[in-house]
Amino acid sequence: MPLLLFGIASIVFVVSRLTPADPLVSIVGERNLTNPGIVAAAKARWGLDRSVVVQYFNYMKNLLHGDMGTSFSTRRPVLSDLADRLPATLELTFAALALGVVVGMTLGVLAARRRNKLTDHVSRFFALIGSSLPAFWAGLLLLYIFYAKLGWLPGPGRFDPRGTPPSKITGFFTLDALLHGDLGAFKESVMHLVLPASVLGWGVVGIVTRLVRASLLDEFSMEYVRVARAMGLHERTVVNTHALRNALLPTITIVAFAFAFLITGAVLTETVFSWPGVGSYAVDASRKLDFPAIIGVTILGGVAFLVTNLISDIAYAFADPRIRLS
Amino acid sequence: MSRSIRVRVMAVAVAGALIMAACSSSSSSSGGGGGKSLLIARDMDVNSLDPSRAYCDTCQIYMTAVYETLIGLDKDNTTLVPRLATKWESNADQTEFTFHLDPKAKFADGSPVTSKDVKFSWERLGGLAGAASYLVSTIKSIDTPDDLTVKVGMSTANSAFLAQVNASYLGIVNSKVAAAQGATADAKTDKAEPWFLANSAGSGPFVLESYTSGSELRLKRNDKYWGAKVNFPEVVMKETKDAVTQRQQLESGAVDISMQISNDVAKGITSKDVSVHPVPSFNYVYLALSPGAKGGEKLTPKVRQAIRLALDYKGLIDATVGGAGLPQASPIPNGFAGSDGLPAPAQDLTKAKQLLSDEGVSGLTLDATFPTLNVYGVDFSTAMQKVQTDLKAVGITLQLNPVEISVWADKIGKDGIPVTMLYFAPDHTDSSQYVQYFGLLKASQWQTWAKTDVSQSETDLLTKAFGSQDATARAAIYKQLGQAMIDDQVIIPVVNPNLFLASRSDIKGLYYSACCNLVLAQLSRG
Repeated sequence: MPLLLFGIASIVFVVSRLTPADPLVSIVGERNLTNPGIVAAAKARWGLDRSVVVQYFNYMKNLLHGDMGTSFSTRRPVLSDLADRLPATLELTFAALALGVVVGMTLGVLAARRRNKLTDHVSRFFALIGSSLPAFWAGLLLLYIFYAKLGWLPGPGRFDPRGTPPSKITGFFTLDALLHGDLGAFKESVMHLVLPASVLGWGVVGIVTRLVRASLLDEFSMEYVRVARAMGLHERTVVNTHALRNALLPTITIVAFAFAFLITGAVLTETVFSWPGVGSYAVDASRKLDFPAIIGVTILGGVAFLVTNLISDIAYAFADPRIRLS
Repeated sequence: MSRSIRVRVMAVAVAGALIMAACSSSSSSSGGGGGKSLLIARDMDVNSLDPSRAYCDTCQIYMTAVYETLIGLDKDNTTLVPRLATKWESNADQTEFTFHLDPKAKFADGSPVTSKDVKFSWERLGGLAGAASYLVSTIKSIDTPDDLTVKVGMSTANSAFLAQVNASYLGIVNSKVAAAQGATADAKTDKAEPWFLANSAGSGPFVLESYTSGSELRLKRNDKYWGAKVNFPEVVMKETKDAVTQRQQLESGAVDISMQISNDVAKGITSKDVSVHPVPSFNYVYLALSPGAKGGEKLTPKVRQAIRLALDYKGLIDATVGGAGLPQASPIPNGFAGSDGLPAPAQDLTKAKQLLSDEGVSGLTLDATFPTLNVYGVDFSTAMQKVQTDLKAVGITLQLNPVEISVWADKIGKDGIPVTMLYFAPDHTDSSQYVQYFGLLKASQWQTWAKTDVSQSETDLLTKAFGSQDATARAAIYKQLGQAMIDDQVIIPVVNPNLFLASRSDIKGLYYSACCNLVLAQLSRG
């Protein structure tokens, strides 16, 4: 893993420095770009007056000591920025994943059990929309309908703007509210999660629905399913206890990768919903060519993929005893 | 109990807890709109909260609320009024300024504001060479003969200095508190910025409560404020990037104020609880022509004049801000000294074609790289498409190339860009800032970018303005400078958009300030 992360950091460093763009504009503003004193001071402060090679070795040396540098735009250590924002992204991602998996599996099972019937077509259509709709468009649409017009759900942000969020323990507002025993704050946090998690999780619904449906249909053609049915087991038992468990194996892999994609893919959703997570941080960083922040976010994305890959391997072993035994 | 039953019992328990939570009322959140805090939806552009490094629109609001300047600006956006200084005077040639501090002025920790704090603040602003340091670049010396007197010597005459002192970036910091946190006037040793991101040390009506980048900026009332007590115990600026979402939050009552909605978005407001006031602003968007840029060689004065005459200014204002704006004659915006009486730009296709013909130019194609910005409700892509259409009518083809501003900055700093678009908002109330930025003075921003010859007449006129104590005489000089910049045909303002002040109807005291953007201390609910 360290080698892989070193590779990721090196590639992003080189690519970001080769980009024909000037990060100084976000540091001193376009109005001061020709002011030699201000430009020189900014370059000296951020180490941009040194050669790219020196900058690279300095960055890598600091990275080895756990220092990802200081963000040009927030003026804070990138590691602190990521630590502050990661809980918001993880909370949104977990909610989106839970929503995506539960709804996706339900629709997948329904579609498989009622193959080529109306339920199947409706489930697949819903899944298709989830996979096709751009997140920013879906986000704005849902905000317009459920927040602006109907007023059923709260608007952007993690909490009521006029309220006080639960004081930080984990950084997950829902969890912190429960830990403080504040059910009102818990409700508020959950309500604020509904729309962004729906937008983000809709894509997962699409993937999981199609995968579960296809896997279940494969399993339905297996001998053991026919035997189970021939033995007179209830159809729900046949599907939920026997077929679905086997159909879940490929789903676990996809869900694990979906989690990593959700973390990195929260970019647009977080921007639309003013969600102060890593995604909106990444957008700001890339727009401002904030090198340290860009590399920090990329390393975090890499870690997310590696960790979820590991978790998916472990989950696979739990789901399939044959893998455990081998 | 079997495993499946255990799982079901747990599931029921969790579901029950969630339902109870959903049905119970909030204890920590006040909910709805009943709180007494003032909430503002903003696309925050904060680059720092360190008073010597901050430089952004939101920073202007923050600095004005937390760090007071020696001189304030009245609501008429013209008259300078006492703030930390009760009075001030300058010598005849505008090279020395003396300020007398108010003995009642106190910082938020209760300590008095002294001349040493002024010296420390301005020397640190210059020493750290942050983005706003240009405002103190003409200061040669700061003397503090006693605790309440500040004498500032200039390296050159500078009649704009009082207006610059009014700029929010020249706010005064509590030197003892700042120094204890590692603040110095040397960029190599200064270590105070992290502290300033979480704390404040000013004398203003508010103090910093907390700042979370990308989320919110929270101010609370300075209970030890030496001036009139402000109305709101707390002001919260919430990060809201999208103008439509800002409108939705305003209409729902989730926030009280939004100042970044465009004309189109404002038109969609139907709630009777929301007031929208379009007001003229001092901000504008301009087209810039660079004859010295690579590919801009054919942009002779006559060709540049032809481009100016080819533009449909009313059409540009209609296309970009739905007619909610004004044309602007010169880089000195409407309302600033020197803007009155200059000829408004007007389309004249016949003359434009004639000029191009006289110059022997036909089938001219120009690179038009521009930043993909949307400022003051003006979408640059829309504006540039309209410019492209207008120029097509006189046979000039623009190759539009929208890019991120960092890419744009790299390109204009190297090869230059023949035709581009940018914006400007004032930092203070003196017209000199426009001449220093847009005039063809040696090493000015646009003399550098456009790669043109230096204009000696503009240099001389500005020197004359800086040496003049008389406001009327200065206005006359700035008018000459405005005309000279029109004749340069390098900067062509295309739209001076209105600003839409949108707020809940019960919010009073909302107005647009030239120095400070939004003055929080003036706001009240009632």
